[in-house]
Amino acid sequence: MAKKQLVRVKVNGRDRQAEVEPRLLLIHFIREVLELTGSHIGCDTSHCGACTVLLNGKTVKSCTMFAVQADGGEILTVEGLIKDGQLHPLQEGFKEEHGLQCGFCTPGMLMSSYALLHNNPKPSEEDIRWGISGNLCRCTGYQNIVRAVQFAADKIAQGGAK
Amino acid sequence: MIHKTSPEMGGMGHSVKRKEDLRFIQGKGNYVDDVRLPGMVYGQMVRSPYAHARLKSVNTEKAKKLSGVLAVITGEDLAKANLAWMPTLSYDKQMVLATGKVLFQSQEVAFVVAEDRYTAADAAELVEVEYEELPVLVDPKKAMDPDAPLLREDREQKDNHIFHWEVGDRQATEQVFQKAAVKASVNAFFPRCHPAPLETCGCVADFNRATGKLTVYMTSQAPHAHRTVFALVGGIPEQNIRVVSPDIGGGFGNKVPVYPGYVCAIVASLTLGVPVKWIETRSENLQSTGFARDYHMTAEIAADREGKMQALRVKTLADHGAFNAAAQPTKFPAGLFSICTGSYEYPTAFCEVDGVYTNKAPGGIAYRCSFRVTEAAYLIERVVDVLALELKMDPAELRRKNFIPESKFPYKSSLGWTYDSGNYEAAMKVALDKIGYAQLRKEQEEKRKKGDLMGIGISSFTEIVGAGPAHTFDILGIKMFDSCEIRIHPTGKAIARMGTKSQGQGHETTYAQIVAQELGIPAADVVIEEGDTDTAPYGLGTYASRSTPTSGAATAVAARKIRDKAKKIAAYLLECSENDLEWEPGKFFVKGAPSKAKTIQEIAFAAYTNIPPGLEAGLEAVDYYDPPNLTFPFGTYVCVVDIDKGTGEVKVRRFVAVDDCGNIINPMIVEGQIHGGLTEGLAIAFMQQIDYDESGNVQGGSFMDYLLPTAVETPHWETDKTCTPSPHHPFGAKGVGESPNVGSPAAFVNAVVDALSHLGVRHIDMPITPWKVWNVLKEKGVTS
Amino acid sequence: MPLKIEKTFEVGQPIEKVWAFLSDPRKVATCVPGAQITEQVDEKTYKGAIKVKVGPSVTDYTGEVQIVRLDPQNHEIEILGKGQDVRGRGSASMKMTGKLGALPDSGTEVKSESEINVVGILAQMGSRVIAEVSNIMFGEFTKNLQARLQQPSEVPAGQPDSAEVKPIKATSVAWEAAKGVFRKKP
Repeated sequence: MAKKQLVRVKVNGRDRQAEVEPRLLLIHFIREVLELTGSHIGCDTSHCGACTVLLNGKTVKSCTMFAVQADGGEILTVEGLIKDGQLHPLQEGFKEEHGLQCGFCTPGMLMSSYALLHNNPKPSEEDIRWGISGNLCRCTGYQNIVRAVQFAADKIAQGGAK
Repeated sequence: MIHKTSPEMGGMGHSVKRKEDLRFIQGKGNYVDDVRLPGMVYGQMVRSPYAHARLKSVNTEKAKKLSGVLAVITGEDLAKANLAWMPTLSYDKQMVLATGKVLFQSQEVAFVVAEDRYTAADAAELVEVEYEELPVLVDPKKAMDPDAPLLREDREQKDNHIFHWEVGDRQATEQVFQKAAVKASVNAFFPRCHPAPLETCGCVADFNRATGKLTVYMTSQAPHAHRTVFALVGGIPEQNIRVVSPDIGGGFGNKVPVYPGYVCAIVASLTLGVPVKWIETRSENLQSTGFARDYHMTAEIAADREGKMQALRVKTLADHGAFNAAAQPTKFPAGLFSICTGSYEYPTAFCEVDGVYTNKAPGGIAYRCSFRVTEAAYLIERVVDVLALELKMDPAELRRKNFIPESKFPYKSSLGWTYDSGNYEAAMKVALDKIGYAQLRKEQEEKRKKGDLMGIGISSFTEIVGAGPAHTFDILGIKMFDSCEIRIHPTGKAIARMGTKSQGQGHETTYAQIVAQELGIPAADVVIEEGDTDTAPYGLGTYASRSTPTSGAATAVAARKIRDKAKKIAAYLLECSENDLEWEPGKFFVKGAPSKAKTIQEIAFAAYTNIPPGLEAGLEAVDYYDPPNLTFPFGTYVCVVDIDKGTGEVKVRRFVAVDDCGNIINPMIVEGQIHGGLTEGLAIAFMQQIDYDESGNVQGGSFMDYLLPTAVETPHWETDKTCTPSPHHPFGAKGVGESPNVGSPAAFVNAVVDALSHLGVRHIDMPITPWKVWNVLKEKGVTS
Repeated sequence: MPLKIEKTFEVGQPIEKVWAFLSDPRKVATCVPGAQITEQVDEKTYKGAIKVKVGPSVTDYTGEVQIVRLDPQNHEIEILGKGQDVRGRGSASMKMTGKLGALPDSGTEVKSESEINVVGILAQMGSRVIAEVSNIMFGEFTKNLQARLQQPSEVPAGQPDSAEVKPIKATSVAWEAAKGVFRKKP
């Protein structure tokens, strides 16, 4: 077995570290070592996006990375969206617009939408659909997710939290 | 009569925002893989690469020696405890771990248990299995050939035939066909596909040696039924088993069967005395768990020249894979397929189904189908379109001519179902008006002159859900009632528990709305719990759109029992007779003196502090509801497609879905269900198939090949409704979750065929890939 | 699913020399990456093994090679190879027909037609991976064949001499597969 390596990351604003096998996937690191189970595993071929988190400001599929590759980086997971007890406009949007049913794809959707809105604060419907095309959903048919992201975009434009 | 409640109250008809959302949007859902217990270890399956082979030996020595491995279980080990085989929901049996032979690629052969999932994966690689390949059977049409390989040597009957089932009048139907002026037929294959919920199946089996209690956290749509199965199969006393279905990431029928992984995890936990987690990978999910469809169907309609249908004849070959693990009520080996008469009047009809074994994954019923209703609806809506072509009649007009008229409900079909209510014309009118049908037909005519390909597809489906009445419906002997238990607290808040189990349908909100409607306690004050067999009343679970028709009904009935007691307390408090009282949601008041009233909250408080003499304290009730009949939601879907002549790609330009599910609890949730189901129907029609090559290798065993639509492929869905309540349901509701998956494949396929019918095309089998379409275009000489 | 592969290549050696080499499975094995002949069972049957590495995934097949037909007159050979993965991950079989033709420049043209059938985990990847892995292995084979035929000394009979097992890089398979999408098919 390969020697364990130290991985140091800032996760949702908090410094975390652990000794891990080099082959440990980032998603397992997040879920089992850091005990943040909001990010999910939905496939084994990098298609579904349920594991999407932000690493150094960019969305990554954490099932397709090793934890050691994230060493020294900053990670944002769904658990980090809420600020001082206030839901992020995206989280509000998903609730207001019925953008979730079983909730399994939701964390990944939230993180992809978060990145989308950062890069494109006024997305069209087409922009949103492309923006979340790396996240699969079986329950909603995406229509209300699009509405949820539009809700958030409008709210942020009106001065809600970023 | 359904009183109107205020939005704050949140009774029937309000789009109350979902209570369950709060935890999911914060990443605080509790799915099975989120369950972590002290000392928990991990299990992983070793699976067969062969579709059909003798199992010569399973060598576990190297695996066992790996540091961190606690156990490696084989079929032989299980056989010693009589657990190598387990019963299926279809009264067949299925191997838990293979002994003697393997019957499908990816079949479970050994179970490795280790301290962490990586070590378990390493150990699984070290298990050495010796096989002797046998001839493979993947074509169900060859299953009954005299020289077909015999798959199931464990059965007394030495062939690959599982069952023959028929219903209707063969002779009478035959006679009509012989004299029929017009006949139309179609051979329609409904390909094997898979529900693929985003969360795969799994469990954490936790046997506590100190207390003798086994707790199984599992992805289960029917926790009580599973508990009973574990008790009977495992010989563990039922009171010592607790099944907990926490949050489930989608079910769609995939989480109804019992899988070998659950059994192995339980055995491992019983043996080791520590919690054992087993979570399958997506590939394992697609290749070995409950698939859907795989029906080879032929339908024929006999009609007169004016288009009046006279008879329907249906013959189906059902491919069940290696074990008949189809999840359906006992008396119906082909599920509720005999709803294939659809929305039309047939004076006589006949339907027969033969099930066979093949070297494929076991199962048969799943993917939002209400027990084969998807297959039936697809078939009838396809053959009706073929008849329209035969008669050179507009498909909408042909349907209208043959719809069961509203005045004839309850309507007994010639295949034996009593449809509760329906108004098919009304739904079709809304749909055709909304899509602008007449204008579209004109557009199509113009486009055809220019050589452009555009199609309009209609599907006017009727489906059958809410299984079901005890006299006809049981699963493994357990009758298909369902339940609700409500308890009102002194401060007027409530808790209610049901025997169903939501996997995203929003029960925590909708059931609370029923209580709000019936008792006038605001939905926000009602906590709903499901899924823990230690606390919830016994039920058969959530699938086949049955929750609203069964547990929803039970909720209403239980609430009314509470209302009856509340009335007595109110009469006592108001010092009058019960006959003087009237009810409106939230309070009883004296007739003619509305200020003399007691709210439900005051009554609840009194139930604990000022109990009328002769009455028990408390304010609660339980109801086990035996539905008098199934319910029959229906609708008309219209799809408009444009076909690219260069690539064969089909673009869905518009899709209008008009659904009628009777009285609606939460319109927002119903709309969400329709969006989701239509998206699944789109996937099935255009991009999904689990296929097998001649060696039995699975094609479509991962998301590389088994395609799920993304937000980009998914069109914008337009929804609308009509409302024809169910006369026998306590609040006239019917259930709706599966309608979109039932009704939409035919709409998509009918649209594509309609785009090409002027070239002589009558039918194209699903999945309708661009490659398939392009080949048709090439054959007809119209590629660009 | 049987995969059909047709390959034609040229060797700058006289036809009889090429024939003598190609009609001896032990010699052929020396050119196939990861293959060895371990035992001769009878005149036409040999036992052998082949290790196929694609990226981190290793499959060890053991099985039999049989000369089904040998026609020295027309320089045609038909062989059948079948193997099972030792750990029980699957099996593979290959039927190959080879025909030699003399070229005007005293070289030899080798035409081969193979039908490959894979059962098991590898087959789930679909023909895309099998085809590319086969192409890569065939490329190695022809390279090794050219080299061996140019060698002055003959390999003595009875001594298994396996070509070096170079793991096939998963990236090269992916690249080849991607290129394959755009490659013009003759």
